[in-house]
Amino acid sequence: MMLDVLGMIVLVCLGYFLLTNVVYVALVAVAAVENGVRRHEAASQDYDVLATSRFTIPVSVIVAAYDEETAIVSTVESLLALDYPEHEVIVVNDGSNDGTLERLRDAFELEPYEMFVRHVFTTEEVRAIYRSAARPSLVVVDKANGGKADALNAGLNVARFRYVCGVDADTVFDREALLKGMRLIVQDPARIIGVTSHLTIAEDPERSMAAPEGRRPIDRSPFVAYQHLDYLRAFFNNRLAWSRLGFMLCSVGAFQIWRRDVLEEVGGYSRTFTCEDIELTFRVHERFLRDGRDYEIHCLPDNVGTTEGPDTIRKLVAQRERWQRVIAETVWHYRGMWFNPRYRNVGLLGAPFYLVTEVLAPAIEVLAIVSLPIAIALGVFDPLVFGVMVVAIAFLNAALTACAILLDDLQSRTYRPRDLLRLLLLAPLDLVLYRPIIVWARLKGSWRFLRGDKAWHKFERNVRAEA
Amino acid sequence: MRASSDDEERVNALVLRVAVVVLTLALPAWILLSLVVVLGRARYERKRREPISNALSARTTERLVRRVSRRPRTEWGKWRRVAALIRLEQAHHPAMPRLILPVLADADTRIATAAIRTLGDNGDEWAIDLLISALRSGNGPRSRIAAELERLAPAPGPKLVPVLRDSNPAVRFWAATLLGPYPELGESSLIALTWDSDPNVRAAAVETLGSRSGAAVAAATLASLGDPEWFVRVHAARAAGHVLGAAAAPTITRLLADERWWVRTAAKDALRGLGTEAVPSLISVLTHEDPFARNGAAEVLQDVGFVDFLALDNPNSPLLERIYAAGGEKLREAAEARVESIAAEGVRAA
Repeated sequence: MMLDVLGMIVLVCLGYFLLTNVVYVALVAVAAVENGVRRHEAASQDYDVLATSRFTIPVSVIVAAYDEETAIVSTVESLLALDYPEHEVIVVNDGSNDGTLERLRDAFELEPYEMFVRHVFTTEEVRAIYRSAARPSLVVVDKANGGKADALNAGLNVARFRYVCGVDADTVFDREALLKGMRLIVQDPARIIGVTSHLTIAEDPERSMAAPEGRRPIDRSPFVAYQHLDYLRAFFNNRLAWSRLGFMLCSVGAFQIWRRDVLEEVGGYSRTFTCEDIELTFRVHERFLRDGRDYEIHCLPDNVGTTEGPDTIRKLVAQRERWQRVIAETVWHYRGMWFNPRYRNVGLLGAPFYLVTEVLAPAIEVLAIVSLPIAIALGVFDPLVFGVMVVAIAFLNAALTACAILLDDLQSRTYRPRDLLRLLLLAPLDLVLYRPIIVWARLKGSWRFLRGDKAWHKFERNVRAEA
Repeated sequence: MRASSDDEERVNALVLRVAVVVLTLALPAWILLSLVVVLGRARYERKRREPISNALSARTTERLVRRVSRRPRTEWGKWRRVAALIRLEQAHHPAMPRLILPVLADADTRIATAAIRTLGDNGDEWAIDLLISALRSGNGPRSRIAAELERLAPAPGPKLVPVLRDSNPAVRFWAATLLGPYPELGESSLIALTWDSDPNVRAAAVETLGSRSGAAVAAATLASLGDPEWFVRVHAARAAGHVLGAAAAPTITRLLADERWWVRTAAKDALRGLGTEAVPSLISVLTHEDPFARNGAAEVLQDVGFVDFLALDNPNSPLLERIYAAGGEKLREAAEARVESIAAEGVRAA
């Protein structure tokens, strides 16, 4: 009986592996088409006209900052330096316990000013609003701690422009980030309500972004390089395909442009979920599809900035378990959309995709981790067959990763050729060196989801090199 | 027991078969893709070092013209056509006016936008005519057409005046907007458009009049401050500040009590722009019955530096107390903090 059960488990794992990888290969094919089209489109774009035209739609950039003293000044500097005709930068200090506000005050000569703003969203108490004597387009809101969603809502109350761009405080942005993000929207602002774009990862984003395009290094540490590969797969193999198929599931928190009236209509960022980005994207889809409205949410392949990646396993696990939790919370919350034709591709493809590849994955992984060694020990499963299967999975994973590297390089030509080669060689070992950490983080995240834990568990910022 | 052993063998054989198939496909795929990345990048680096030339050989030109003339069925094909069009434009091909028309007429706005951009790059008389014709017919996003026409200024100016009389309000809107950089053109038509039936056109007309001067312009701008549409009042508030200067302050100050938030914000912006010249009007609304008008006036008085001036010069002034009463406790706290830091800087400097 037990032997039969073990045999069944082996077959279930095999079936799951085949199903998910067929889906991944199909998504890569769609992503390749999308990447090609976007590449042509970007080549036909004149950023100089966009950057100087008074008809380019102004944007309010909102940065939610909580204990970000190490990164905040460089992030704000990069946002103020964005090449864009008209934008304002609103930094919301969400009750930081460190010197975030002091750093901002010193760097940008902040002075307190009273501003009478609209209270569209209820937030924790705003303690003071500062303006910069040196940089007129900078506004800093100092408020009591209420979480990232609350901070973004406070920023929305202050925002003056029709489009808002929520960004993370630990990301350094490319000078053309807003131009790249808004290039689609300016062509069709009535229909395109949300855009996100590709971000990369580095231990020290300022240092990485300081290098010129084409010569940008990828961190030497394989630990960060594997995270870089993870980002590439997420953006190029998945999100580009989702975008083309009309079910962009996650407008990432580090760079998310939304039409402000849409955010006001759906009630702003929600405080009841662990993270705000995936849930908001689902909520917007749910509202617009329920009402049968014509809209588009896109992910672009253009690299808009570099975010800070965890430099230790502990920090990485803290980050990824949070991501796992929010995916599970969101997919469960919007279970009414699963396989529901009313929600078109989001309900028929997107939500089930997340359910199978993200929410159920930890259960299958536990099943495999527990039962496969037993099956081998009891002689049900041949260790040689197991070994061949592991090698096959490793190279399949490597091939999918190579696709992501290729799509990225075709799009941006950002990285040094020798770093690309290193990434390609690291790819087959991802399964044994990096994936186990992610499996552990996902298990932890799923367990915390089942327990109803919604804490942020923010990881400590990396120590930066002295400028 | 025998059956169980057979099942195990079957499971092992199945897994092995799948693993071998996957490995047979994945390993060469990984090697091939890696080679494509490495060699592709090397080719790109080599080409990048070659000198850039827009000149095309006769054979290449013929191939590109053929590609542009074809009617592609796929999105991919359409983008290849755009790429060919751009290369022909860079080489100043004489058949461009004919070749670009079908691309400009493409139903996909992104393709049409690429054609619009190419016309902007060209900038010849025929390109301007095509852009204005596209503005009228709605081929491509009008905002992108407008951006290209604006970068070609001053050439399109005189051609835009007749467009103000177009029957389509969207076209009139863009014509009125685009006349911003031409203060000598179309004044009477723009004034007439401040009474247009379409509120977007009225808003554009009053915005453009904001960069002009004269009694007729001033009268039209002041009249627009009472427009029934809130966004026309927004533009009128900003325009009135520019056209009339301090003389507009009392009228704009009244808009601080407007029912719409964005009109009040525009009024604050306009009053800020007038600087200390707006102070007398602002003081007069510190006791207004509408709380938005009161705190809006206090905020502008703070922003133009009047609060700091009073707080430093005469901290016990009753007027300062009235401003604090209108603006609330936070306005007072912020002012005191600023004054404290100014005083501290003074001590440091001494």
